[in-house]
Amino acid sequence: MATIIAPPIGAQAQAPRRLHISEYLRWSVDHKVIGVQYAVTSLFFFIVGGILAMLIRAELLTPQLDLVQNGQQYNTLFTMHGTVMIFLFIIPMWGAFGNYFVPLMLGAKDMAFPWLNALAFWMIPPAGILLLLGWLIGAPEAGWTSYPPLSSLFSGDGQTMWIMSLHLLGISSILGAINFIVTIKNMRPIGMGYFQMPLFVWAVLAQAITIVMATPFLAGALTLLLLDRIAGTAFFNPAGGGDVLLWQNIFWFYSHPAVYIMILPGFGVLSEVLSVHSRKPIFGYRAIALSSLAIALVGFTVWAHHMFVSLTPELRIPFMITSMIIAVPTGIKVFSWLGTLWGGKLHFTPAMLFALGFLSMFVIGGISGVMLAAVPFDVQVHDTYFVVSHLHFVLFGGSVFAVYAGIYHWFPKVTGRMLNDRLGQVHFVLTYLGFFFTFFPQHLLGMLGMPRRVSVYAPEFQGLNVVVSVAAFLLGISVLVLFYNILRSLREGRAAGPNPWRALTMEWTTTSPPPPHNFHGDPVPFDDPYGYGTEASAAYIDAIERRFGPSAPLSTERRNMPAAQGGD
Amino acid sequence: MNVSERKTNGRNSNALLWIVLAGLAIIGGGFLISLLTPYLFPAQGSTQAQQVDNLFRFMLVIGGAIFLLVQGVLAFSVIRFRAKPGDVSDGAAIHGNTTLEFVWTAIPAVIVLVITIYAYQVWQTTRAVQPNEQVVGTVGARFAWSFSTNVTPDQFPAGVELSQLDPAVQADIEEDGYITITSPQLHTYVGQPVQLQMVTQDVLHSFWVPAMRVKQDLLPGRTTDIRFTPVEAGMYRIVCAELCGSGHGNMAGTLVTTDDNPVYQGAWLNVHADEAAFRREFLEPETLAVLFPPEDPAARGRQLLASGAYPCNTCHVLSDLGWTGNLGPSLDGVGTRTQRLSQTGQPDMEAYIRNSIRRPTDFLVPGFGPLMPQFNPEPDQPNYMPEDHLNAIVAYLLTQTE
Amino acid sequence: MQHAMEPNLTPQELQKLRNNRTGLLIFQLSWILVFVCLIVVNLQVRGNFPSWPPPGVERVGILLPAAGTLALIVSSFFAHRGFAALKDGDTAAFMARWRVTLALGVLFVLAMAYEWLIVPASGQYSQLFRVMVAFHGVHAVVIGMFLWRTLRFAGAGIYNARNTWAVEAGVKLWDFVMVAWLLFFAVLYVI
Repeated sequence: MATIIAPPIGAQAQAPRRLHISEYLRWSVDHKVIGVQYAVTSLFFFIVGGILAMLIRAELLTPQLDLVQNGQQYNTLFTMHGTVMIFLFIIPMWGAFGNYFVPLMLGAKDMAFPWLNALAFWMIPPAGILLLLGWLIGAPEAGWTSYPPLSSLFSGDGQTMWIMSLHLLGISSILGAINFIVTIKNMRPIGMGYFQMPLFVWAVLAQAITIVMATPFLAGALTLLLLDRIAGTAFFNPAGGGDVLLWQNIFWFYSHPAVYIMILPGFGVLSEVLSVHSRKPIFGYRAIALSSLAIALVGFTVWAHHMFVSLTPELRIPFMITSMIIAVPTGIKVFSWLGTLWGGKLHFTPAMLFALGFLSMFVIGGISGVMLAAVPFDVQVHDTYFVVSHLHFVLFGGSVFAVYAGIYHWFPKVTGRMLNDRLGQVHFVLTYLGFFFTFFPQHLLGMLGMPRRVSVYAPEFQGLNVVVSVAAFLLGISVLVLFYNILRSLREGRAAGPNPWRALTMEWTTTSPPPPHNFHGDPVPFDDPYGYGTEASAAYIDAIERRFGPSAPLSTERRNMPAAQGGD
Repeated sequence: MNVSERKTNGRNSNALLWIVLAGLAIIGGGFLISLLTPYLFPAQGSTQAQQVDNLFRFMLVIGGAIFLLVQGVLAFSVIRFRAKPGDVSDGAAIHGNTTLEFVWTAIPAVIVLVITIYAYQVWQTTRAVQPNEQVVGTVGARFAWSFSTNVTPDQFPAGVELSQLDPAVQADIEEDGYITITSPQLHTYVGQPVQLQMVTQDVLHSFWVPAMRVKQDLLPGRTTDIRFTPVEAGMYRIVCAELCGSGHGNMAGTLVTTDDNPVYQGAWLNVHADEAAFRREFLEPETLAVLFPPEDPAARGRQLLASGAYPCNTCHVLSDLGWTGNLGPSLDGVGTRTQRLSQTGQPDMEAYIRNSIRRPTDFLVPGFGPLMPQFNPEPDQPNYMPEDHLNAIVAYLLTQTE
Repeated sequence: MQHAMEPNLTPQELQKLRNNRTGLLIFQLSWILVFVCLIVVNLQVRGNFPSWPPPGVERVGILLPAAGTLALIVSSFFAHRGFAALKDGDTAAFMARWRVTLALGVLFVLAMAYEWLIVPASGQYSQLFRVMVAFHGVHAVVIGMFLWRTLRFAGAGIYNARNTWAVEAGVKLWDFVMVAWLLFFAVLYVI
């Protein structure tokens, strides 16, 4: 042993070929290329949606109109912001993580349907362009929920584009989800049962089941809205015997599960990151895995809590009960994650910082969620900034923090290079503070009487709004730090090696980035994806290093510590 | 140890410092924000508000306890279980604990059960039908509210004899048994239970008085209702909470001057101190105005517009009535704006104003969008404006000269 | 079980076939929910009327659509028989049976197109009827064209005992058209 000269850090036994940028711009059926295509497209739309958010906050610095000329322009800003962030950033971003890592985590060469996978991706850019082109032909102004009759009888022709764009994105989402379910069901390696799968795979499975069950209802609702707009039908127009609540029911029957479509993979990322970076098995594997399914299924029974001020009063109570129940599996997850941290060896990598940030912020979204489920309180804060705050605590404090954690955790695998830790820490602190001060005061605004979706508001709310806007600009700047870090690390980041975090899931048992068919030979999964703290797991990880070369940074420390060498 | 290695090992303590600083910044910033708003809610204006606030406090205490528990465990773990520099060993191989997992499933389940039961009780009491409710018809339209009350002859001010009235008004009373008074503000008094019966002329709106803690959507094709009992006299802002288009934010009450002499414009809930004040300050003068309509068409038109029967005030400036809306062209001086005649091909200002109300999209003033509703002459159409109302309003607008 | 049915396939081919079958099944389970959505819409809309069809509206006759439905069921039967023949290597019998399937399918589509055209415009009732019939009709036509293409390929001798997935998919998709229609038929004509 001692006579063998260790290869330099990051030198891999089988160095993979790095793909040229042009290979990402054309049709490819390699799930890794598609994963990167999803990621880059989503991050582009993240910037678009973020700029819109900055414009919204700039307008709200004062109680009068100043940045935009009229309310209609403002309505378009938040309509586009919501639609872009939900349908073109978060959902495709999970498509990126799922596409890249589900096959790798299962030791598979590719997804079950590579061609369909590419098709699903290539529907997204045209859909995004279609949506944004709506600005040119009469912008949609009905919000991302597009309640008729505002969306059917009043909103501009861009609303029609909005419908077609969402139709396309919905189909793309269904095709992607079918692919995930089939891959997970049929392509697990020998020896990996459902309960040996990494929790990220479990979360993607639960998400995919939700997508295939919910999205068809969006397709149905959009079809009817389209017909109301262009074919003269009156499904949602009371003047022709239609019913405006019909839209709300179908739309939320999709869109509440869509909330779980947006957060479930984030739960999965969190389980991976917390376990790996606290060097400890996940606490309560089965509870976390099954609570994902429970959330996905109970999520189909709560939709009408979005209609607590429009639904017939007697019908509100059953939906209050189901909405309360869904807090329980979510609580199980949070407590299990805390149990994972307890007694671990926490390494505060940027991925871990964002995972911890997720835990501390998501719990606020969970608590305000239970409050919103209580009908009498909801009646006061429905359609106010309290709701805006709640949904951002769940979707930014939850989903986006998880996206960030996932980026820091898996960037080394995708690119073969480490992201800069110090920039990661700066990014985390800016995001954490910017996020909290952007969204926490909005709870107060809502309770005090500021409705959502207004460009003019009562002067007494200006103080809090200025705090919110300034913090939002900070949050905007934090995103620039992330992009700077990514671009810089792509050029000059430290080489990562196969397994920089000494993780046990299968994506780390190959070179970084993985070769075209992912693995060198047939990989053998470790029998427990979270089996940290055992001799066997250390030996398994060491064997990876012996085969593919050492990794940075954890294993560097390890090789230089005499005590550690003796201990293993 | 070489430099790069020290950097690697030092990473954890750096990060810990960041975490602690971020935590302190949040606590400090939270304190500063609390200085910006001394209250969590606006003043409690109704019996409903008291119950909702109690429910909120109950949930806040439980939620706060859970919040502190989670953040406490997080903070403790971050400090106690951080990997020491150079420590690359793994944590203990603990996979779970069935008892613990059962406990943290059961406790939240019990908590949400208790909250559900409590919330259900509050919901039932806040919606309960009260005796002697004041029923107010509420109409939401883009972008103004109007409130109408039916006044029966026994509520007329003392000294009003039916025989003194204009024959048309007499016929109305005989047919319906009451007259209807309309106003852009909602009037009631302390202790009087109110029931609103709400319809919308166009899209969804949502009636909300933050101080009363009540909110209900107005749904096209349906009549919805809402109840509250005010307990405190004062002016309370009415807000539209459901996106209704470009004037959505304007569909709330505005306070023009904030000095000792405030002018409340747009949608406000005026809770008078007692029934006598309510009758004296609102019901009787408004009733008299309807019982004895002005002979002069221009004065009649002014009265109609001031009553809020038509949702003009949010969008137009009209200094004579104190309107400050900015979504449409100003009505100041509209009676002599003759340059529009050549642009629209109308013979005279009377025809121009009349046709602009009946067919607004054909007369868009450059720079303004097609927001104005079309006011139709038939009762079964939306935005019904009878011919005599139109005549009076046109006569009044013609008096608005430069 | 499936291993026994496909003894000649390599492990890769078998994996692909399993994936195709699972994928198609999940697609069917998912996409049928759009039809369920329209049924839910239909039921909620009728709930807003005192009776259904609304007072003064004539319900469309059941005779022609019932005949069309019967044709669709029979066509599905022939599709299955054709697929069985193909698996036995009898391409001629396959093509004969699928021609019957397609002919019956065309009759069904023509019958429903006629219904779509003659239903008198009468507000919610007729617009729901038209949307549901047309939505189903689009699926029937697109999948029918897929069957026709498969039939042409079979004529060119593309399918053999190792390669029948396209035909199997066609049969299953045609079953989907039939099941979706039975749901719609029940809602539009029976209840």
